[in-house]
Amino acid sequence: MINTTDQARALSTSHRLHASMRDRLHLFVVARIAAALLGGYAFTWGFTAFGITGLVALGGDFHEAETALMLIAFLVYLPLFLWAFVATSLFRVWAVLGGGALVMTAVAWGLQQVLLS
Amino acid sequence: MFANFRLAMTWLHTWFGLVLGFILMAAFFFGALSVFDREIDRWAIPETRFAPQHMPSFDAVLKPVYEKLKPHPDDMVATQKRVIGDLPHPDTLTISSLYAYTTHRDPVLTIGAEFDIPNELKDAADEHAHVHGWATIDPRSGEFLSDDKLKIGSNWFYPMHYRLNWSWMLVGYWLVGLAGFIMLVALVTGVIIHRKIFREFFTFRPWKRTQRSALDLHNLTGVVAFPFHFFFAFTGLVIFASWLYFPVGDTLLRPLHKQHEVVEAQRTGLPNEPAGVPAPLASVDAMILEAKRRWAARDMPGEVGLLFINHLGDINGYVSLYRAGSDQVALVGQAIHFKASTGEVLREEPPPSVVGSINEFLTGLHLQHFEHWLLRWLYVLGGLLGCVCIATGFIFFVEKRKRKHAESGSQGSRIVDALAVTTVTGMLIATIGMLVVNRVLPADLVGKGDWEKLAFWGFWLLALLHALWRSAPVAMAARNPAWAEQCRVLAALAFLAVATNWLTTGDHLLKTVFIDTYWPVAGLDLSLLVGALIAAWAGGRLACKSTSFPGMKQEGEAYE
Amino acid sequence: MNEALWLLLAALTALLGMAWLALAMPMHWKQVFTHTAVQPSTAILRLLGCLSLLVSACCCVMADSLSMAVLVWLMLLAGAAFMVAMLLARYPTLLRIFWP
Repeated sequence: MINTTDQARALSTSHRLHASMRDRLHLFVVARIAAALLGGYAFTWGFTAFGITGLVALGGDFHEAETALMLIAFLVYLPLFLWAFVATSLFRVWAVLGGGALVMTAVAWGLQQVLLS
Repeated sequence: MFANFRLAMTWLHTWFGLVLGFILMAAFFFGALSVFDREIDRWAIPETRFAPQHMPSFDAVLKPVYEKLKPHPDDMVATQKRVIGDLPHPDTLTISSLYAYTTHRDPVLTIGAEFDIPNELKDAADEHAHVHGWATIDPRSGEFLSDDKLKIGSNWFYPMHYRLNWSWMLVGYWLVGLAGFIMLVALVTGVIIHRKIFREFFTFRPWKRTQRSALDLHNLTGVVAFPFHFFFAFTGLVIFASWLYFPVGDTLLRPLHKQHEVVEAQRTGLPNEPAGVPAPLASVDAMILEAKRRWAARDMPGEVGLLFINHLGDINGYVSLYRAGSDQVALVGQAIHFKASTGEVLREEPPPSVVGSINEFLTGLHLQHFEHWLLRWLYVLGGLLGCVCIATGFIFFVEKRKRKHAESGSQGSRIVDALAVTTVTGMLIATIGMLVVNRVLPADLVGKGDWEKLAFWGFWLLALLHALWRSAPVAMAARNPAWAEQCRVLAALAFLAVATNWLTTGDHLLKTVFIDTYWPVAGLDLSLLVGALIAAWAGGRLACKSTSFPGMKQEGEAYE
Repeated sequence: MNEALWLLLAALTALLGMAWLALAMPMHWKQVFTHTAVQPSTAILRLLGCLSLLVSACCCVMADSLSMAVLVWLMLLAGAAFMVAMLLARYPTLLRIFWP
């Protein structure tokens, strides 16, 4: 009798452990997917904006610069997406992708103001 | 979670490939059909089965046609939602810009126009105070073709390819875009996790068990057509990038974009805005002659592919003539612009820059305006290899897990398998079923196109329900009999499509191949017959194998 | 020479090249010849295969403009490799004609 209760208890503990691990796993996966898809997208967005204004500032034609950056955009996004799944620290992924996105978008906006004035 | 880099790549390949694979399959399959979209149109609308035509005379044929063109009722409804107050009666609106577009494969001509509206717009950022009209005409007579007849190739299968015919909130575009991006991810991760790319380059062992032979075929079709898969996914994304996926030029950098347009208008002499002073239109035929003369002088003689008139009836109006890209990878190009009121040349566009050329090559190789029948068929092959690659990916996923799932009582592989049936044979049934319905419904039925669309989704839904209903054996590690059954339905439908085409139009294969040769219809009929034979063969093979004992080594198995 | 003829030649040399490349692999050589013939050096077969693919590329350039030829050639390679793999899987002895 005692034996079976012990077994049951052990089993339920292992289940609970298992369940909590699964939850952590799911959380991990969701966090990585979000970082890869959204973070990568935001970074690429900032990169294209920065690239276009940068090229225009250097004397390039707007449409020319836009075309060039559209050709590069997905080739930038792709390695970033993969990196988000292999990087050891999720924090670093968000710091690089999110931070990069913000900085480049801000610089692009600032550069645009200068170019228009 | 991921013990190492390789496992991370495997996880990405498996799960993203599985989830987006269902959409990718549609993108690849309908992309392969879109290579021959105009030919499918001819099959579906028999009264347009005549030879391709050049751009007709504007002065004699097109001018009266545009005078009759009215805003499209669909766009009147859509535009009404964007504006303040009621729109004026469509008959009172005047055209501000117009286009006509044709390729070397078009017997009929697609035309369209923008009509100015006086209403204010609800959204201040919206600058598009227009309503659109469009139509398809017979360029020989200028007659309008019925709007009720769906161009199944270019207006149903083709948009399936890039937006799943789901235009609400542009969801379809985003899903296909995501799937295309995941295709790139799957290709890169696939190369990383595949240990023997060169050693197993030619390896396909149909005599091994299904799990192994499906993986062989998956690797084979992925590797041999790798450049095709990569460049088509990539260029597909690039085509929509500046408009939808990364529209920085229309959002964040809109002010810079606007400024550039004004500068550009000054540089090229092509007015950005109308002057508000009315002016008549000079002879456009004379402009077409001049454009052809200039193209020939540049050693690239050609026909007009795209005709565009901006600010029609205004002193600032201009006519742009683009050369059809039949002999080049790039699309229409070498534009020459004329002053609409006098016919003098305003500008001859210089050859594109390096970036421009690369872009034109990449988008052109995907959109294929060129005249090269071998390359077209090779593209169909590439698309079908992509489909086989995705389908065998599903099968490998199921085969790898179904025994384990059978033991643990999981329904995972059963559901994936049923969805795989739906996306492989179900999609084919929907496609070919739609063609059969197109031939069976009376030609003058009101709203015929809507019935055809309904049939398409209906067939697909039935295939899904059938696949789910028959899926129980998968949960016991056996095969879903729906694979074999749907193959047989498919074979019957494909034969029926050819037969009904014959019965309703009199165009049987002897006629379309030998007596009165018409390849667009003959090609589709022959493809349907080949498809029918393959489906019948596959159905037979699958049926005799499904009786074998579950888990037994299944030899000589192939899903092709 | 006629464009279609160049394209036909390009397709045939692509198939030939892929067949030789496959035969350069001992595993596939055995599939095709079982034990009836001794495999020549893999280096020779591989060289022949690559040369044949190069000839195929040249034929493509003869038929079309360079930008178009690149596309045709890459797609022909895919088609030829797939065909060789299918022949190896179903009718391997047919490939004997490529090494008489």
